[in-house]
Order: sequence, then C-alpha cells, then structure tokens
Amino acid sequence: MLRERIAAVARPRHTVHAHCDIPCGIYDPHGAEIGARTVARMVELINQNLGDDPNQRNQFVRCVAVKEQHAELVKHEVRVIWGDYFKPEHVEKYPQLHDLVWRIMKQAGKCRQTVDAQAAADLQALVKEFADIFWETKGGRPQA
Amino acid sequence: MPSTRPRVSRPGDRDDLGRARFRAGVRFGIGIAAVGVALAPPVARLVASWGLRSAVEGTSMRPTLEPGDWLLVDSRGFAERRPRVADLVAVPDPTEPSRWLVKRVVDVDADGRLELRGDNPAESTDSRTFGTVDAAAVIGRPWARYWPPHRIGRVR
Repeated sequence: MLRERIAAVARPRHTVHAHCDIPCGIYDPHGAEIGARTVARMVELINQNLGDDPNQRNQFVRCVAVKEQHAELVKHEVRVIWGDYFKPEHVEKYPQLHDLVWRIMKQAGKCRQTVDAQAAADLQALVKEFADIFWETKGGRPQA
Repeated sequence: MPSTRPRVSRPGDRDDLGRARFRAGVRFGIGIAAVGVALAPPVARLVASWGLRSAVEGTSMRPTLEPGDWLLVDSRGFAERRPRVADLVAVPDPTEPSRWLVKRVVDVDADGRLELRGDNPAESTDSRTFGTVDAAAVIGRPWARYWPPHRIGRVR
C-alpha cells in the first residue's frame, strides 16, 4: 500500500530513448520481400514438371522444402516488424495494418499448401504493401 | 518555559551566563546556515530534476544505462555552462521531436553544435544518422539513477 503510493509518486514522467532503428538494420522488410519472391520462384520451378529421374526428383523436393521455409520466413519477418516496430500512432495512420498482417499470414499458409502461381503473386503483393507502409513511416524507401 | 523563570544565581554570574547562551545561539545559527548552504545546491538540483524524472528505453547507452533505469534529468544542468565532450544529454530526437533521446556528447563543433553517440555504437541511432544537434535544444542533464535500488547513484 505505502509501497504502491511511493512507486506512484516516483514513477518517471518521461521516457528518454537510448534508441536504435533502421540504420543499424534491426528492422527491414527486405527479408520478407525476398522470402515472398523466393516462394514465387519455387512455385515456378515446381510447376516446370521436372521429370522422374532421381536427380530431378531430388531437385523437386528441394524446391518444395525451400518454398515451405521461405513462406514461414515471410511470416516471421512480418510478425517481428508488426509486433516490435509499429506503434499505436502508426496503426492510427494505417488502420488496415492489422488486417494486412493477418492476410499475409493466411496467404503464406496458402502458398505452403499449394503450388498456385497466383497465390504466390498475391503474397508478394501483400508483402509489398506491408513494406510500403513501413517505409512511409520511415519517410521513404532508401535508394538501393 | 524554564529559561524565562528567574534563576537562583550569585551576584555577577548572570551576565556571563547570558553571554554564553547568546554565543551558543549564534554558533547554532551559523551551524544551521552552513548545513543549509551545503545542502542548497543538491536540493535545488533535486527540485530541478524531479519534473524531468525519466525512464530509459532502448539499449544504445549500454553499459552506462540499461533499459528500465529511472533517471533524474537536471533541467538546469546546462544553465551555467554549455554541454562538453563526455557529458550525457537529453535532447529531442531531431527526426521525431516529440520523443526524447539520451546520448553522449562526443564532439562540440565551433558553432556549439553537438555530435552525439550512444555508448553502445553498434546498436545506436545518433549523429551518424541525424547529424549534429544544437546545444540550445538540450532538455537537461541526466545525472543520477534512482531505480533499480541496487544501481542507485550518479550516472556520468
């Protein structure tokens, strides 16, 4: 009781940020974009119908494995930026953000389940939309 | 009040007693004043810092400051002198002035602008990104940590 009252009085009134953001590379949607591109490329390779000899089958399985991994990578990268970087004022400015992240999660799942080129293209488009919002909050995408 | 009651005394001793008590009173007064003078600057500093008590967020000032540290930031810390190299400063973020940063001064140029750096430069956004900061923009000087209990003390 007394402790709580003391704590209430002593609690800081301000925050001083010993902060770090994009220039040291902690937040960057590039990883998610690369992941989505990789998924699309794997779908393309898988649909080329490689053939039946062991080497071709090996290649096929590898493509599927990479597609699985990169779809999960997209989800991971997007979740980190969504959860750690975006602040309430960003969400206020981009009210579609939460829904967009949810759709990316769903779409990445769909890309794991199928070898649908359209699904992969849609995932890329959604991730690009997410990256665009991120860079808008940063005052513009850096020139490569 | 016993002191106002007429006391039993021999002739002649009354003045001496009065003088001794007067001297004791003066000494006491000087003592109180000295303690006051000695305590005035820290008390004034505390008062000037209380309104700017601040919580640290982020890791760019490790190992000096840890996220979650509670600091006293002296709003008059640079009233008498300009920030110098190695001082800690609280400044508005030049890229987002509504939030405050805590960084260290690593250089002061001829125009009095400050080059700021985090003590943990690998995880710091500072003057390398946003350039130098006007010394006049400094909000205050972080000088003490009052929480957590095992790390209470001065920060520099």
